[in-house]
Amino acid sequence: MSSPDDLSVIGRRQPRLDGFDKVSGRSVFTDDIVLPGMLHGRILRSPHSRARIVSIDTSRALALPGVKAVVTNADAPDLLFSDQQPLLAQGFVHYVGEEVAAVAATDPLVAEAALDLIHVEYEVLPAITSLRKAMQPGAPRLHEWAPGNVALTHEKDFGDPDAAFAASDLVITDEFRSPVQHNTLAELHVALADFTNPAKLHMWTPTQGAPMYQMALARAFGLETSQVRIVYGNVGGAFTGRGRAKPHHFIAALLSRHAAKPVKIKATGDEEFIMFRGSGETQYRFRTGVTRDGRIRALEADVSFDAGAHAEWAMILWLPAPYLNWLYKVDAVRYRGRFIYTNTVPKGSHHGGIFGRLSAGWMQHLNHVAEELGMDPAEFHRKNAIEAGHHALDGSDFASCGLKECIDKVVERSGWKDKYGKLPPYRGIGIGIGAQASGGKNAANDTSAAMLRVADDGIVTLYTGIPDMGQGSHTVMGMIAAEVLGVEPEDIRIVGGDSDITPFDWGAFSQRGTFTTGNAVKAAAQDARGQLADTIAPLLGVAPADLEFAHRRVWVRGEAPDAPSRSFSFREAIGKAFNGVEGRSVMGRGFFNSPRPSGSLAYSFGAQVAEVEVDPESGAVKVLKVTAAHDIGRALNPLAVEGQLDGQVFSGMSQVLYEECRMDGGQILNPSRLEYKLPRTYELPEVEYILVETIDPYGPFGAKEVGEGPIVVTMAAVANAVANAVGEMLPQIPMTPWRLLRVIRYRKKRAAVSGP
Amino acid sequence: MLLPEHDFIKPRSLAEGLAVLRDAPPGVRLLGGGTDVVFNMRCRLMTPDTVLSLRDIPELQGVDVLPDGSLRLGAATRLTDLVADPVLRERYPALVKAFRAVASRHVRNMATLGGNLCLDTRCWFTNQTKEWRDAKGPCLKTGKDVCHAIQGSPICVALNNADSPPALIAVDATVTLASHRGERTLPLRDFYREDGIRHTVLEPDEVLTEVTIPPTRDRLVFLKETARQGMDFSYGTIAIRADGNGARATRLHIVLGSLTTAPRDLSTAGERLVALGLGDDGIDAACATIRDALGPLTNLYSPAAYKRELARTLLRKAIVELREMPA
Repeated sequence: MSSPDDLSVIGRRQPRLDGFDKVSGRSVFTDDIVLPGMLHGRILRSPHSRARIVSIDTSRALALPGVKAVVTNADAPDLLFSDQQPLLAQGFVHYVGEEVAAVAATDPLVAEAALDLIHVEYEVLPAITSLRKAMQPGAPRLHEWAPGNVALTHEKDFGDPDAAFAASDLVITDEFRSPVQHNTLAELHVALADFTNPAKLHMWTPTQGAPMYQMALARAFGLETSQVRIVYGNVGGAFTGRGRAKPHHFIAALLSRHAAKPVKIKATGDEEFIMFRGSGETQYRFRTGVTRDGRIRALEADVSFDAGAHAEWAMILWLPAPYLNWLYKVDAVRYRGRFIYTNTVPKGSHHGGIFGRLSAGWMQHLNHVAEELGMDPAEFHRKNAIEAGHHALDGSDFASCGLKECIDKVVERSGWKDKYGKLPPYRGIGIGIGAQASGGKNAANDTSAAMLRVADDGIVTLYTGIPDMGQGSHTVMGMIAAEVLGVEPEDIRIVGGDSDITPFDWGAFSQRGTFTTGNAVKAAAQDARGQLADTIAPLLGVAPADLEFAHRRVWVRGEAPDAPSRSFSFREAIGKAFNGVEGRSVMGRGFFNSPRPSGSLAYSFGAQVAEVEVDPESGAVKVLKVTAAHDIGRALNPLAVEGQLDGQVFSGMSQVLYEECRMDGGQILNPSRLEYKLPRTYELPEVEYILVETIDPYGPFGAKEVGEGPIVVTMAAVANAVANAVGEMLPQIPMTPWRLLRVIRYRKKRAAVSGP
Repeated sequence: MLLPEHDFIKPRSLAEGLAVLRDAPPGVRLLGGGTDVVFNMRCRLMTPDTVLSLRDIPELQGVDVLPDGSLRLGAATRLTDLVADPVLRERYPALVKAFRAVASRHVRNMATLGGNLCLDTRCWFTNQTKEWRDAKGPCLKTGKDVCHAIQGSPICVALNNADSPPALIAVDATVTLASHRGERTLPLRDFYREDGIRHTVLEPDEVLTEVTIPPTRDRLVFLKETARQGMDFSYGTIAIRADGNGARATRLHIVLGSLTTAPRDLSTAGERLVALGLGDDGIDAACATIRDALGPLTNLYSPAAYKRELARTLLRKAIVELREMPA
């Protein structure tokens, strides 16, 4: 509809509308909220990876002055956290950290003391605490219903993989592993429940989306969804970690119902690592068939996930299957995935979902394929890359696609051709590519709705359920509303984060915020503008369609924005509507849902080149530069897009090089910010941003997602760069100094033996 | 992770503090800046009834140049103040580098020299929340006859992870320990014990009051290897002091930190370097002594094989830096 020149707000480098509140400490987070009579909840967790609960005695804890409630499974035997999984352990525990009992007390120290007074007698049983052991033939069965400890499988063939592999000139197989990883969120897990009125559960908690929490809590406690209110004012990061309600949310509600007081539970110390449910150990086997001239015929991925003791996150099992179809024009794709039970905390995902860790291996594998063919990997990716209009084997359609342009740009700007294969020892360069869906439909709908009202002072209040978790979604929603109404972003007040007030929105996951909620906000703003135009057009003697809205002015198209008697200020216009005979209060509403039956309407694409230096003496890696080109449709707020790139380059590099939960059986040895090594800002490399704008026909003003696409590509590029620096593929992330030193020493020895 | 209730005493003079300790009430814990003790209290690794803060004791403050040219560093001096001290910066840049290597600026603004020298040993089976330790089961340090780090070890093998001891040991610093019974001064080297539970010789009624550094014109190098730049405990540190210049030295003192329960002297490596010089041959010969000098290592925080490799790397890099120092 509009050319870029028509846009007055979109495309502007807009600082966050809530930036000042955030940096000045004025923003309110869940833990800041204290309710009258509020109690402090604590959770007693299993010390065993697997045990039978012989008995639980809570009498001494209940007798402690200040203790207002103690709950065990006996108090809520039918309360299920998920299928086949009671909220509080029932007869057995299956992992270290499993919720066994909980207390609420007037003081956090009293609650802590009460935990010590709960006596649980356990009969310890043999446990399986690693993916490898759980998959061994003849391994003991963890759950009766799961032979081979296989919780779930997902098998998909697109095209005829057997025929495609048979027709290939070269077939290559590689294996990789990724570890248990945890996402260290800025805001620790916390839930404040007020269930003193049994007909209404109020819960303050950070979330990626209220409806999933409302539905889960309503189902568990026998309420209607509307009887559960989720309040989530500011959210300190999520990164896939706040998509679903977790046991502590249910436990806070249960304690509140028992004590008839509000109860707050927040993660203490290593509890954060148990509550989070980060990504589990994962094994990958990739197989690719190519023709001699470098065309990919067949792609195959076989992935085994450690699900933990319960299969809570089946979605990550399905996701790789479509993803394998989104980058290359191929004859066939095969995916084999399985979820394996182990006696460890149930697992979910880390920043980048499954795609980042998968890409760290897959892109090394494809690099290997290119090198076997004697092809430059960048050329190999480009030769096989899809283009706009491509219809993939999984049914996905790509209305816009700048993948080839992204590859071309990073190759050019990084100086790839002068560097690849020509760097001195222990300097490396690597390329990765990736794609990501902007929202996606797995269930009946993928709906976001929005409302806005325009007050007679010209201030616009936008009601949206999309959480701002730090990604700047509220600012972008404000910009969209401002663009449509012809006002400034500062004129938009956001009311968000309260499911009793804000219209329906599934929330901020699957990269649906900008795309789906953005379209809903745009529709709501257009509705409001339409009402305003209808009311004031007659005053100017024109049809509503003849009005222009921008820069806080409304004027007759073709005239100057401030032409006397042919224009109004926005505030004058809204005043005329409100104070006119009709007395119109302008309130817009809108919603958006993908018309596709499933999958996504739009996909982002990206390519990155990373350059690294490995210290052969210490094994330490320094990432020197990342050149990142991303097709994001349109950068609604380039400042926010660059922030996303910085954050994702940082996190992607961190996962490839640093992050690992070091396990001791079922226990995490490094469950703290000190010992779970994350790099600091000093380690962030120079990032060169290249924004490729393909103006997607379905996105709001042409925008696609930028919330997860980049990290997936960073993980691929950094992994390839390190492999390039040391001279061989690295089958395991993170690429820690000790793993790299081992490879470097081994290669030196081999070189010494085989001679020059 | 809340701080447990405790009494807090903040004496205004050394005599007042020592008088409190004279009766050696059980359950007293000395506190410098609190950056180690408070966290250990939160983890219930230390549960003192009384915390005695040394921060405001005037006798324990500041840096003085003594008549013989020695430097006296008060134990309650903040690391930030040591990093900024003009005399230290001029005479001992490598020592300042070691002080600055500790944690982050925020921590150094609280942490004291005495606190860093007395920093409790660390082990990832022990330095955890109480719930974590309860799940794993107690160890030598927490009340049972079991070592989770090295099975069957009769002594606690937790690591001395402090950054300043190796550099101070290398310059032959001494420490003064005071109690109501009097004072004693001993080499910092002898302050440490190869026991992760009683890792220093400090008696329950004693306070570390000051550190004295004898005058020297020798070269000094300090290196620290970490996972990330700053705000971290080290995987390994090294301090080397040498006389002479270029590749020649007649005396070398090499101290490794963070790999073992007490800082470890590499005297054989030093002898090889004196004999062969600081050239690459000397370095290779010195590196060849590392395995024996270190003995068995733990996998705490990093694998034992990496620790050995890192020790060689640190030695090599430190010697190269030393021989390239301007005369």
